[in-house]
Amino acid sequence: MTQIEARRLAELDEVRQPSLAERGSRLMAWMGNAWHELRKSRTASIGAVMLVLLFGACIATPWLATQSPIKQNYRERLQPPSEKHLLGTDRMGRDIYSRLLWGGRRLVTIALLAVTFGLCLGIPYGVLSGYFGGKVDTVAMRFIDGLLAMPGLLFYLLIVTLAREWKLEGIANDLVLVFALGFAFMPEVARLSRASVLAEKQKEYVEASRAIGDGSLAIALRQILPNIVSPLIVNATVRLGYVILIVAALSFLGLGTPPPTPDWGSDLAAARDYMETAPLIAAFPGLAICYTVLAFNLFGDGLRDILDPRLAER
Amino acid sequence: MLAYVIRRIAYLVPVLFVLTVVVFTFVEMLPGNIIDTLVGTEGNNDPEVRKILEKEYGLDQPVYVRYVKWLGRALQGDFGNSLVTRRPVTVELMSGIPATVYLALVGISLSMLIAVPLGTIAAVRRNTAIDYTAQVTSLIGISIPEFWFAILCVLFFSLYLGWLPSSGFANPFEDPWASLKFLILPAAAVGFRQAAYTTRLTRSSMLDEMNKEYVDTARSLGLSERKVIFKYTLRNAMIPTITISGLQLINLLGGTVVLESIFAWPGVGRAIFEAIQQRDYPLVQAGVLVLGVIVVVMNLLVDLTYRLLNPRVKLG
Repeated sequence: MTQIEARRLAELDEVRQPSLAERGSRLMAWMGNAWHELRKSRTASIGAVMLVLLFGACIATPWLATQSPIKQNYRERLQPPSEKHLLGTDRMGRDIYSRLLWGGRRLVTIALLAVTFGLCLGIPYGVLSGYFGGKVDTVAMRFIDGLLAMPGLLFYLLIVTLAREWKLEGIANDLVLVFALGFAFMPEVARLSRASVLAEKQKEYVEASRAIGDGSLAIALRQILPNIVSPLIVNATVRLGYVILIVAALSFLGLGTPPPTPDWGSDLAAARDYMETAPLIAAFPGLAICYTVLAFNLFGDGLRDILDPRLAER
Repeated sequence: MLAYVIRRIAYLVPVLFVLTVVVFTFVEMLPGNIIDTLVGTEGNNDPEVRKILEKEYGLDQPVYVRYVKWLGRALQGDFGNSLVTRRPVTVELMSGIPATVYLALVGISLSMLIAVPLGTIAAVRRNTAIDYTAQVTSLIGISIPEFWFAILCVLFFSLYLGWLPSSGFANPFEDPWASLKFLILPAAAVGFRQAAYTTRLTRSSMLDEMNKEYVDTARSLGLSERKVIFKYTLRNAMIPTITISGLQLINLLGGTVVLESIFAWPGVGRAIFEAIQQRDYPLVQAGVLVLGVIVVVMNLLVDLTYRLLNPRVKLG
């Protein structure tokens, strides 16, 4: 191709700066478009609605919660649902409904941060490794193999144990969890981005970009990266569900955040002792975890169908 | 093929290196060290004693020397003694392996017994009530936390109906009947989750196969639908299913920690979990390393066997 053609190709997506109003209407159009696309898959739309409710509840927790999640009241222990306590009270007379909301807010935040962290580590790693290829790639990918071979749950057990030994509490404890979960997600992201890069690298637009003299890094980040987003979004969505299951499992084992912080996993574990007398206490946190993970899985599944038309035909 | 096998084995080296470094670093990163523990219990914090002990445990040497020495001992199967029972860590771990393998094997068999027929029917009767039920159930199966599912099973079958013991273990060779009763709930909890994955996989690989040309050819030759499905498509669709089930089995070896502790199942996972609770770190360290190595090596073996048996897979 000639140089002029190449330049035109590379400049195609360089758009003039839009005004604020234009941006607003574009955003609305984009959202309308996105919803229209989502409607193509029933799973995706159900998942999207469930996620909107979930995120809404997480954001609005301070207004939705009717009671303090940690205030104990021994005169109102193990109560069934009532007007005052919408979902009843636990073994210490704490309001289950409020605990669920606060616990969910924390859990979803941890999951979002962890997955974002994994993406931030894995995408540059995979893109650069795939883009440079050769020896760099071989060494980088062997390291990824090593990390992937690490059995997930055992790795988290080691990290959480360290956090306990260092007596980390509150935010510090949560951050360690976020880093560990994100780091464990990194190899998968790196592999996926690398594979997409290898596929995209051969295409014309990359050649065009190179012809007009763009540097390697600029090509990798500005040209290739935007084209590998869709498999990553699907993967990240499903991963969010997995991360929530792992965090809940760890705190169920008593290795999560120390009490009295509201936490679905440890609340469920504590409710085990009252299973015969008050089975509902164990039901609510379990249902909440199930709902959240299901929402992410439905959305991820549907998104995969939409983004990969070959699968959607099924 | 030989060159390929050698290359794959060579790839193990960096993998095992990362694994050992992670596990070694874990103990290094614990606050305080073994000397604190030893001195602390004796109630005597004499610097002279510390020096002698540090020398004895090799703590006066730099990290990489200690890593190499530790690795050398680990290669000989010497991970030191458990801080709790004082028995060699290796013995403690080995005694847990049969129970873990037993649970994983039964769980995966159960999963395949459910998933293969269900996935096949769902694919053949696509977009019918059966298909939707199978899809929804498997989605719930991968979304439900396994510990919650296990608790619900205990609540219903042990506490409410009283049919099965809520936890425990009996040796299947000594008391098969009791052993079976203990086995059902944990195996169902393992199996349900894995079955959810396998059903989805079987369904989608069946659909892939049914879209291929040889199916049309077989039909145009007048073969019955039953024959087309059972003799041709299902066989091909089983290849990914069997591979994934093999990998699931391997991963379960390190992944049943939660269920083993709920059901008081005397496996490696519970041993590691209890060691964490009792701060028995030599056992934790060795347990994670041993399970990790088993998983890595078994993965390699599965991969090699798979390529040996299936000549269509390119030796990449």
